[in-house]
Amino acid sequence: MKPLGGFDLIRPRTIAGVLEIMSSLETAQVIAGGTDMIPVFRDIGCKPEHLIELTTVQELNGIFEEKENILIGPTTTHTQLLESNIVKEKLSALWEGCSVLGSVQIRNRGTIGGNICNASPAADTAPGLIVHGTELHIGSLREIKWVPIENFFVGPKITILNPNEIVIGFRIPIPPENSGSAFQRIGRRNGFCLSIVNCATYLERDGQKVNESRIALGSVGPTPMRIVDAEKVIKGKKFDEKMIAEAAAICMETIKPIDDIRGSADYRKDMTAVLVKRTLSTAWRRTGGAF
Amino acid sequence: MIPKGTAVLKILRSTQPHALIKRIDATPALSLPGVDAVLTAKDVPGENQIGYALPDQPFLNNVKVHYIGDPIAIVVARDESTAQDALDSIIVDYESLPAVFDVDDAIAPGAPLIHESENIAVKTIIRKGDAPKGFKKAKVIVEDTYWSPYQEHMYLEPDVAYAYPEGNHKVTIIASGQSPHLAREKVAIVLGWRLNDIKIVIPFTGGGFGKKDDTAPLCCAYAAFAAVKTGKPVALIYERPEILTATPKRFPARFKYKSGADKNGKLTAIEVDITLEVGAYSNRSPFWLWRQTAHAAGPYEVHNCWIDGRAVYTNKVYGGSFRGFGNLALHFAVEQQMDKLANELGIDPIEFRLKNCLRVGSKTTCDQLLDHSVGIDKCIEGVKNASGWVNKRKSVWNGTKVTGWGIGCGYHGNSTSRSTPDFAGANLIMNQDGTFHYRTGICEIGQGSPFGHVKIIAEIIGAKIDDINIEHPDTDAVVDSHPTHASRGLMMGGTAAADAAIKLRENLVKVAASMLECKPEEIDLRDSKAYIKKKPTQKIPFKDLADEMYARGISPAFHGFYAGPKRFFDPETGLGVNYSCYTFAATVAEVEIDTETGQVQLKKVWPAMDVGKAIDPLMIEGQIQGATSQGQGFALSEYLQVKNGVVLNPSMKDYLAPSAMDTPEYEDAILVEEPYNYSVFGAKGVGEPAIITIVPAICNAIYHATGIRTHELPITPDRFYKLYKEANQQ
Repeated sequence: MKPLGGFDLIRPRTIAGVLEIMSSLETAQVIAGGTDMIPVFRDIGCKPEHLIELTTVQELNGIFEEKENILIGPTTTHTQLLESNIVKEKLSALWEGCSVLGSVQIRNRGTIGGNICNASPAADTAPGLIVHGTELHIGSLREIKWVPIENFFVGPKITILNPNEIVIGFRIPIPPENSGSAFQRIGRRNGFCLSIVNCATYLERDGQKVNESRIALGSVGPTPMRIVDAEKVIKGKKFDEKMIAEAAAICMETIKPIDDIRGSADYRKDMTAVLVKRTLSTAWRRTGGAF
Repeated sequence: MIPKGTAVLKILRSTQPHALIKRIDATPALSLPGVDAVLTAKDVPGENQIGYALPDQPFLNNVKVHYIGDPIAIVVARDESTAQDALDSIIVDYESLPAVFDVDDAIAPGAPLIHESENIAVKTIIRKGDAPKGFKKAKVIVEDTYWSPYQEHMYLEPDVAYAYPEGNHKVTIIASGQSPHLAREKVAIVLGWRLNDIKIVIPFTGGGFGKKDDTAPLCCAYAAFAAVKTGKPVALIYERPEILTATPKRFPARFKYKSGADKNGKLTAIEVDITLEVGAYSNRSPFWLWRQTAHAAGPYEVHNCWIDGRAVYTNKVYGGSFRGFGNLALHFAVEQQMDKLANELGIDPIEFRLKNCLRVGSKTTCDQLLDHSVGIDKCIEGVKNASGWVNKRKSVWNGTKVTGWGIGCGYHGNSTSRSTPDFAGANLIMNQDGTFHYRTGICEIGQGSPFGHVKIIAEIIGAKIDDINIEHPDTDAVVDSHPTHASRGLMMGGTAAADAAIKLRENLVKVAASMLECKPEEIDLRDSKAYIKKKPTQKIPFKDLADEMYARGISPAFHGFYAGPKRFFDPETGLGVNYSCYTFAATVAEVEIDTETGQVQLKKVWPAMDVGKAIDPLMIEGQIQGATSQGQGFALSEYLQVKNGVVLNPSMKDYLAPSAMDTPEYEDAILVEEPYNYSVFGAKGVGEPAIITIVPAICNAIYHATGIRTHELPITPDRFYKLYKEANQQ
């Protein structure tokens, strides 16, 4: 661990202000809660020159319901998400991901934008955001665009963001009444730890059949990943044990886990199946379906 | 807060596990603005050899490095960033040597030598009775091998030392620690100074668990060395990765056990082979290994014990003091052996233990006769009843989860090993206003021992507890009281405090009797007042009593001193009196295992301990619960991963001690009081036994739930899942 050197902290008040500084200062980096960035600076001895604090920009914070969508600002903390009834009632998988993320202190400081832009394969908010069909609003001075979240991650700690771009917001479709989602993870203790595997699933129900399904996994490859092949197996079928097992098997085949200090690849593979089964059952119950 | 004008000290550490140092070039560092000094072994004015038990550990290495993290040079600079830049710019040329990372490789013929002679630092032996003969009498014999890994102490407060020179031949060091006088001795060795040239002050310390017994003396010596060399106040603060990478851990150990019992369920013999991995330096290993050897039968009477131990060097981070000191790993093996024997014999594990446990009149592994203060039977009976053991003999399934119950017992010799003399001192001073200063060499490291001393003093002299101030240990103010370790803080320090209090009491009573015009035996001291027992309306507040004592020239201050009973042991046979008393403990644990994921949860704990005399029951609960958590971490989640000598997870993020959310439900501890004859009120040490008993209790509960034996720790979800899957495929 290296000492954190001095740096200029710039605290703009508007998104335009942030983007202007980013396009004019080459060495500028944005920071929100800092719960991932500060440890990284200290681990690798990186000496940032200019940090742009995003938490002073009011328009980047908050949770709003707007027509068909829920909008979330990137500096919204995990605690804010946990305290939001909209998130709790409509986005179960995201809420559950936030509830186990880090510690109380980290949830108080850490932000959803930071968790996503840090691009850890184990990010606990990522699977929930993926299965809820989240789009990211990305902006620079030159361009504004919408990107599905599963296209945002490139590799561990790498995203599609260009140096002058930031994430301005998250847009999540309000799930229909007959839907349900769930998140679970395996950690090495009950709290305050990184996931060995995490998983979120989302289902829409039509009677005993699955209308729509999404499955996302974390910490089993270089990025959080959506397992479309497994989703296809479920869609349009009657919800039962056999179909769950099939989906789990496809997930196990698709993922690319590695051995690391938190767990072995073999364990991750088998736990993927366990979590897919468990979250599908929970999500199905939440659609109102019997199982 | 570091005072302004203090220089910052950082240590340059080896990046190689085993290498000769060809050249150290500090010129680039010295040319940086703000760098005060770069110091190496050549600059050490006194001795550069600071090995604890054996002379194998240089203070700074300039010839050879023995592990990744070995100290080579120290940098003193105006601030942390400058010190870091200086560290990064020092050039060290190494000539790599073949390194050894495994105990068997280290003792194989032709293994590279880590120090000058063989890679075995020390050996131990016990020959009590005739083990082969004992096994002939056995109906069942169980043999197994157990691996106990490294454990990091993970105290929250990192190691810190602040040193400032005074005049030209005095240095004061304020440090986080648990052994002020040992620190003073190390500083004296390194500086080549006398003991009274050095003052060590240990303020409230944010956790030690044994490690600061090893690290604080070195930190004090680095800081004092730098302060004396530069003439400036100097601060040293270890970084968390530095603590995890370079400072001592619980010694890893391997136990090969053979245990036999006859048809009546009586133990007949044990044969034990212990291989302790010491890492780069032997440090405390002779004492650690001896403790394991001397306790090898567990808290049971076994007439035939053959035990061999060896401590082996490797090019890895070295081991050192840690709560449980060898006995944790040992009982992890012993107590699973006991369960296996009980199982083979078809006897309930608790009944089997009761048949064999030590009692008054029993002899220990070392043939030491226990003539009093043996409460293990009451501990076992206590947890048996409290936990409803007889109704918990079948595991309980709930979906994919299964719950089981297990017992772990243990005993722990109080105070130092190998019959080393042990003593402690204390000062008690009464002020004119009737308040008191209490000075002890025992440190407050979160355990509350000095407060226990004060309760003892208050009881003896009848003072209000609030009237007694505890001073931070200061080597200029109190005699060598030995370290705050080995469960000795209250037993030794408290008995010294009692000695001072008894002496002061005599003077208080004498003066009070004269003032109240009665006989001394009629005086009662309580609530910081002296009373006539039969006429309690006649009283003198301590303030007036103190004034009178000062005026009459009757001493209001006393020094107390206590040395433990003499012990002896024969190094040829290992037999003798190793510890003057033992604390006994038993724990029942309830675990719940998710068989689909391999996650093991410690759900509930029923603890019992024979504490001699409970001076402060609440603090004993604190020690039991804290030690249980630390043992739970060792058993289930704490996994220091070392590959080719590199610690792969040197952070709180990846080395996982239990969190508050992992804490089990605790039943109130059952405190058995079998007083010890030679300590104040009969008190025995309580800091360590609970960490010893919880680990095998968890292992035995896992077996009870799943039928799976765990021979290697920690039992991570990943590991247990694999064991469970393999067992169920067969």
